Amino acid sequence: MEHAVHISGLEKIFMVPEREAGLVAATKSLVRRQSREVRAVDGISFDIAPGEVVGFLGPNGAGKTTTLKMLSGLLYPTGGEARILGHAPSKREKAFLRRITLVMGNRNQLQWDLPALDSYELNRAIYRIPRADFTPMRDDLIELLDVGDLVRKPVRQLSLGERMKVEIVGALLHRPQVLFLDEPTIGLDVTMQKRIRSFVATYNERHGATVLLTSHYMADVQALCKRVVVIHHGRILFDGPLTGLADQFAAYKTIGVALADGHVDLDRYGEVLHRDGDWVTLRVPKAETSQLTARLLSEQSVLDLRIEDTPIEDVIELVFAQARSE
Amino acid sequence: MKALGTTLRAELVGAGGVVERNFYLTKRYIWWDLAWFFWTVANTLTIVFIAQGIEATGGDIDVNTVATSLLIGAVVWAYLGVLFEFLMETVAWERWEGTIEYTFMAPLSRAMHLAGQGVFAISYGLLRAVFLFTACFLFFDLSTPDANFLAAFIVLAIASISFIGIGVMTSVLPLISPEKGTQLGFVAQGTLLVVSGVYYPVEVLPTWMQWIAKFSPATYALEGAREAILDGAPLSAMWDEIWPLLIIGAVSIPLGLWVFSRGELYAKKHGKLKRSG
Repeated sequence: MEHAVHISGLEKIFMVPEREAGLVAATKSLVRRQSREVRAVDGISFDIAPGEVVGFLGPNGAGKTTTLKMLSGLLYPTGGEARILGHAPSKREKAFLRRITLVMGNRNQLQWDLPALDSYELNRAIYRIPRADFTPMRDDLIELLDVGDLVRKPVRQLSLGERMKVEIVGALLHRPQVLFLDEPTIGLDVTMQKRIRSFVATYNERHGATVLLTSHYMADVQALCKRVVVIHHGRILFDGPLTGLADQFAAYKTIGVALADGHVDLDRYGEVLHRDGDWVTLRVPKAETSQLTARLLSEQSVLDLRIEDTPIEDVIELVFAQARSE
Repeated sequence: MKALGTTLRAELVGAGGVVERNFYLTKRYIWWDLAWFFWTVANTLTIVFIAQGIEATGGDIDVNTVATSLLIGAVVWAYLGVLFEFLMETVAWERWEGTIEYTFMAPLSRAMHLAGQGVFAISYGLLRAVFLFTACFLFFDLSTPDANFLAAFIVLAIASISFIGIGVMTSVLPLISPEKGTQLGFVAQGTLLVVSGVYYPVEVLPTWMQWIAKFSPATYALEGAREAILDGAPLSAMWDEIWPLLIIGAVSIPLGLWVFSRGELYAKKHGKLKRSG
């Protein structure tokens, strides 16, 4: 089966002008401008199968948005190869552009001064959507995202969350097969984030769409993605199942325990992270978790006990910390 | 052949969509545009008053003819301003609105995208030019009994093809320089008109400027419009203006598209499409 997204050795290098502060440096830069090479994306490779939802994670400036822009044909790669549904994005073929969409949480495709419905009409014309397909699809999306009373107002009068929902309707009118979602829930409240998450899941199920999602909210990633690709300084640090991320990078688990005697010294079982009344949280090596738990249960008067994996946010933090130390 | 027809139709529908969007946007700000129109009228009046000023300070001129000639120059200046503004907005306004990346990602050929911008700019600009000319014409109670307004309108419409080609070339400037590119577009507009005899005959210019004037579509647009309105020349008598306009149009449109495509390539290589961040 052909991959929906195929990336091989993809790289993007920018020349960034830079100078020291001050009048002298500013004057010097008039005649001799200095610039530095920045490898925003440094030879990354991965494939995504049709219908797969993949989380694309990384700190600010890691190269996520640059990659998504290259995959959408908005930026030309410096090297390597990208193929989306068999098309090279930089060629800007219409058959390609009609099958993808890019949603950027901090950008907008709808004209601020117009009601979203007017912009949808423009999309209908540009994406050559037959009226018979357009109207039911538009109405379906409007219903799914519950924006019926928003699409008639100028976009500038909508709140951030409302705007994001009507943006998503606009981005999906042509029923794209590949969705590049760049921080689609950024700045939204928890309820709105949840709504958009569940909408993306529904769209993926209904249309078998391939999704590459970047988000700083791990709840988005946990709810939608079985697989994650972690990128840092333009290089891939991890590509695999979300659960595997913790296995590879988090060498510890936490044991929460409530004892009949809350003053017992537990240092011999693991590192005490904090105490909250009778409840003590210990960090223990992952491999020794079961053995230490058994010891705790046999040696202490345990009222309650809970074993937890390291929260995914902490795991990601560990991944980046490890990359920094290397 | 049928496939070609279907593709062409679809492209035209896309270009129609761009025209439609510009219509909505203009309609949305129609009252502001009206206020702006009054500024244009005031500006035009200051220029046309020069004719009366010359007479009042002892100049021996035919005030009616000079005032009409100045009015034609001012209207063409304003018309060109509207065309260039719309075309510059192809990039500058969309970058400001934050929609530029989506527009450049849309499956519409750049030629049709720019054609949509151009068609709306011409339609709106011509309509505005007619209102501006009429308002000032009535204000000064000018008299042109032999005027052939239809011929003047047609010459301006033909010249618009070349103006669009040049406008497309300048609209690439904000792609290359997000900060200062728009201002450079106005420099191009001013340069085009200064060599074209906007308020004076081309013959008063230095020889080298007269030579440049031969390549400016505004030269022929102004000459044609003045011949039609002041002398009542029919379209058939204006072939000397029309054929250079057709040739410049035939060259400037593909050249404009080529220049724009190079600018787009540059912007996509250097990440200049974004508004910020």
